[in-house]
Formats: sequence, structure tokens, C-alpha cells
Amino acid sequence: MTLVFAIPSKGRILEAAQGFLDRSGLKPVQGRGVRDYRGTIPGLDHVEVAFLSASDIARELVAGNVHLGLTGLDLMHEATPEPEDRLVSLTPLGFSRADVVVAVPQAWIDVRTMADLDDVASQYRARHRTRMRVATKYLNLTRSFFDRHGIADYRIVESAGATEGAPAAGAAELIVDITTTGATLAANALKVLDDGVIMKSEAHLVASRTAQWSDRALASAADMLDRIASEARARKVKEVRTRFRAADDGVLAEARERFGVETPFGGPTSSGMLTLHCPPKAIFALSRFLREKGAETVSVMELDYVFGKDNPLYERLAASLARS
Amino acid sequence: MPTATTSLSALDISLAALLAEAGFVRAEPPLLMPADLVRDLVGEALARRLYLTTDADGAELCLRPDYTIPVVQAHLEGPNAREAAAYSYLGPVFRHRAGMAGEFNQAGIELLGRTDREAADAEVIAIALKAARVYTDGPLQLVLGDVGIFLSLINALGLPAVWRRRLAKDFRRSGMLADDLRRLAEPAAQGPTHAGLLAALEGSDPKAARELVTDLLSIAGITTVGGRSAADIAERFLEQAALGSGGLAADKVAVVEQVLGLDTDPVSAEAQLREIASRAGLDMTAAINRLAERNALLVAAGVDLSAAKFSTRFGRDVDYYTGLVFEIHDGSGRAGKPLVGGGRYDRLTDMMTAKLGLDLKVPAVGCAFWVERLAVAGGRA
Repeated sequence: MTLVFAIPSKGRILEAAQGFLDRSGLKPVQGRGVRDYRGTIPGLDHVEVAFLSASDIARELVAGNVHLGLTGLDLMHEATPEPEDRLVSLTPLGFSRADVVVAVPQAWIDVRTMADLDDVASQYRARHRTRMRVATKYLNLTRSFFDRHGIADYRIVESAGATEGAPAAGAAELIVDITTTGATLAANALKVLDDGVIMKSEAHLVASRTAQWSDRALASAADMLDRIASEARARKVKEVRTRFRAADDGVLAEARERFGVETPFGGPTSSGMLTLHCPPKAIFALSRFLREKGAETVSVMELDYVFGKDNPLYERLAASLARS
Repeated sequence: MPTATTSLSALDISLAALLAEAGFVRAEPPLLMPADLVRDLVGEALARRLYLTTDADGAELCLRPDYTIPVVQAHLEGPNAREAAAYSYLGPVFRHRAGMAGEFNQAGIELLGRTDREAADAEVIAIALKAARVYTDGPLQLVLGDVGIFLSLINALGLPAVWRRRLAKDFRRSGMLADDLRRLAEPAAQGPTHAGLLAALEGSDPKAARELVTDLLSIAGITTVGGRSAADIAERFLEQAALGSGGLAADKVAVVEQVLGLDTDPVSAEAQLREIASRAGLDMTAAINRLAERNALLVAAGVDLSAAKFSTRFGRDVDYYTGLVFEIHDGSGRAGKPLVGGGRYDRLTDMMTAKLGLDLKVPAVGCAFWVERLAVAGGRA
């Protein structure tokens, strides 16, 4: 059985996701035309790529129809009330960052915290004999967050799009929505409560715990996750090469200590050739240090991949599947 | 998952016969009802358990999650909404339940429009005990509470409106309530954000202060935003000034804890409450008198109150109960959950008349029978 890998077909997440896949050597080839929603990855015979919306990806992961997918943390929590039972996040990806927040009209000068909102909700119900309405598409996140804050006197009005307009349109009193800069909220005369950030979301690489994981699917996953981890590892370092006679264990120990460098291929060769992996922010200090110790030339390179012995993302997947 | 069964047992039929004989009119509301109404009445805690669907016009409908809402709705929309009525029901209701069938049978009764509240309360309990006997000869444990006692206590304490609302809301949630009481006992810690303005306004003529804040908001071009008028906002803004002026005295907090700690039989509870109230100089007479009258009527109806439990803390998991709350448990412990649950829900009918645009007060009390649990308690399932 093939492994199904779902990637976003549209929306804000698409461009960043494509960049990530290119870098990780997982660039998909779409079928016959742009209308084809299935594709392949050259060199990975048993992987089928499904192009879906990010929210469909979360749903299909929960249903077990997709093995691996790129989707938002917010959508994982919205697709099922118990994400940890059905899904496992293998790694956050650092893009599509946004916050899910509780926002109320700016005119509510008496409301700054969730405790205020709680009180206003009780007052609203006592006065209007109906519950305060919260417009949102985030049913699960809203319910669990409001529950944690003890807010019971409210009801959700489901909103598929343009949620921020709901209070002005009279469709709801407040909203729970996703925001990156808060500009849209401000333009709609809404403000985020001081303790109203429900979740800091970003794109994650997610595996389904409910999918059928055949040996072949696991092998494909191991291959893909190895590429992804190696690319991520490569981004955290630059390769530094040099050659000089004084390069001995003492100099290396000092370089490790001061600059956090690693020696992936061991100490200097007999001719004094030395290869180091160094965090990008320490590059200039390291190159100065090496020349002070006698190096004449130091070259620095970007790396595409750093493959190691271990496969940490795969290990996380395997551990999660072993857990009942 | 066990398969759903809606077939009624011979005992269920006997229960229906007993209720009919006692003068309850059998209500047969439709299975489908507007989801919007239900969500608004029960809140999100139960709304997530609804079975939802849509009609051809896109209006959202749900399968009835209980009988109370549709029975009360039919009564309020009917020609006799202003008269007293007694209804019974028996049939399937629908809720998502983890690991259990979503469709199950429920029976119950509702007494609507009875202004002799305590008499109606006592009638419901007496018939509930009698009806449970259709299923089981085993021991039955009656557990009682009265939300009205706690509400009368927080009114008598003279707390700011903000605190009254919070305590009333958290009453059913013991963790939150404990937290509230701890915070009430603390002297006012940090002031609200607009402390300067609030301090300046504190103690000034309330009407003038409200007008000032309302004016400030209207200068900013704000009228009614998000369902709250500028006057609403101004009023609560000023209430916060009241909240800033200090905590509840330690002896008063101790009284709250004494009242909430009460856990005895209903007759002793009545005596102890009178004692606590008189020692603390709090006027809770009306609420305690209602408890006393209900107790007397229950004894007159032959209910053995010495074996019943009364707890001030006892509340059921929906927030529209306003007075009596009660459950009947299986004394043998064979059925782990309550066999019968009910109470006074004047707040629900209040919300419904508001929704229907009726100018009516409809007192309401009733209870639901978990017929499948009753069968278990009787050793028949």
C-alpha cells in the first residue's frame, strides 16, 4: 500500500509549503494538469501526493485517509476534540504563523480580560434573556478555552468567512478568529483581550495515528522524514573548511566551547584539513579565531542536507504509533 | 458501540399508564426542532452533543436532545399558555454520548404555570418516587438541593452586582466557586486599569456618572456595539469602581462556607439554615420558608424525609434551575448514575417566553426518568 502525503493546494500556506518541499527534496509533480489533485514525488515510488485545502488535510488525517500532511496547529485542534488520540505532530515548520484570539468591540472599554468577558456574558444573559453570541469557525478551540475560563453564558454562531464583520453586522457580539498582524481586527473596531490568545498556531508536519501503516508506508515515511530532518539540520549550520598545522585537539576543544562547532568528520586529517559545522551566528567570530591560530584561508559554505545516523522525526512517528 | 434500541418495555408502558392516571397529559412533540433555539437555551456544553441536520432552505435543525424544551415550547405557543398544565412524555431522545448509543428513551413530567410553587415541587417528587417503584423494589435514595438558598444568601450579603453574578454563575462548578470565595476573602488587590477615572467617579451621583461615561462613548461615535448599548457599557464600567473598594469580611466568607457545607436531611437543613442566618444577621427568611413549606408538603404526601439527603451545594449540570433540584439514586448502587433527575426551571421558561415575544411568567418544575437505568436498578437489564 502506498503512503498518502497531503499538501496544501491553496491559501496562505501554499507558497511557504512549496518552498519547504523544494528544500526538503520532496518537490511534487502534479498529474496531467493543474486540475489534477493527485501527484507523485520523483524517486519515491510508493508515495502518492494529495493536493487538498489545509482544513481538509486535518480532517483526512483524523479520518486516517492520509498518512502524512502539512496543516496548521489550529486546524488540527478543530478537526477533532482529541487531537492527541488521532494525530501526532512530528515537527513545527516555522511558517504560516498566526494567533487564534478572542476579540471584542473596542467600544467595550470595561472589558480587557476573559474574567471581564465572563461577567459581561452573565450580565448580558440576565438582561436580554438570551446568550451572548460568539462568531467563529473554531468550535472546539472556543468551547475548550471558554470552558477553561468558566464562561458558560454564551453560544457559538458558526461563521465560515469574514468573521471579523459579524459584530458590526449584528450577527454576533464578539468573535474568535485567526490573525497575523491584528490589522483586520483593528479595521473592524475590534480588540484582542489581554489574556485572549487561545493558541499560537503555525504549520506542522502531522502524521495520522489512525491510518493504515503498512511496512511499505513506514519505509516511505522513514525516507521522507530523513530528508526533512536532514534539511532542517543543514539549515542550522554552515560548513567551515580550513587547513593549518596548529589545528590540534586543544584548538578544537576551544572552538567547541566558544562557538558551538561540531566536527562531523573527526579531527584534522594528516595534512591538517579540517571540516567544521558552525551555527550561522558564530561564523565571523570563528573565522577570526581560526586565523588567529594560524589558518591562512577559511571558507564557509551553505549546506543542502546533513544526513546523520539517526532519524528523529521517524522515531517520533514510530513511538507515537506504538502508543495505544 | 451498542446498537440503539427505541423499543419500549412493558414497564415503560406501565409508567406511562401511572402518569396518565395521575392526570398528566401525554405530550408528543416532533423529533426535529430548530437547533438555534436549543443552542441558545442549553448553552455550548450541551450544544456539542446535538445531532444536527439542515432543511431544504438551509435552516439548522436538531433531533430533540430532551423533551422539556419542545414540551414547554408547544405549551407556550398553544391556546392555553396562561393556564396551569401537567404533561408527561415517553420516547426517544438523541445526544452524542461517548461509547454509548446516541438514541435512548426518556420519560418525564412537567408541571407548568403553577403559582403554588412549593406544592408543585412536592407533587413532582412524590410522583417521581412512586413511578420509580414501577421498576424496582430496591432501596431508593432521594437527594435534594435548592439553588434559591444560595441565591438568597448572596443577595443578603449585600455584595456588588459583579460578585453576585459571578457566584450565581459559578455555583454549579465547585472548583471555580472555591476560587471565587478565596478571592472574595482577599482585600481588593490591584485596581482596574482606568483606576484614576474610576476613583474620581466613585461615590459621585450614580446617575450623573453614568451619563458622563455614556457621553464619552457617544463622543467617540459609539452607540450600540455588539449587542451592548453605551449605557450598558457605562454601567458596568462604573460597577468596577464598586468592585475596587474592598473584599468581603472574613466572618461573612465563613458564613458562605457554612451554608455551602450543609449536608444533612432536609428538615435539619431548614433548622440549621435559620440558625446560621439569624446568627449572621442575614435575611434569608423567604427562601428558608419555601424550603420549610416544601418539606411539610412532602411529609404530608408520605415521603420519608429522614432518609433523604439535602445539600446546599447540590446543583444539576444545566444552569436553568432556579429553586428545587433533586435526583433519585439507586441505593443498591447497581445503576451508577441517577435514575431520576429534575427541578424547578423558571429561568428556562423565562428565556423561552422572551424568545417567543410573550409577556408571560410561567413557573415550571419537572423531572426526567432514565428508563434504561431504572430497568438496570430493578435487575431487569
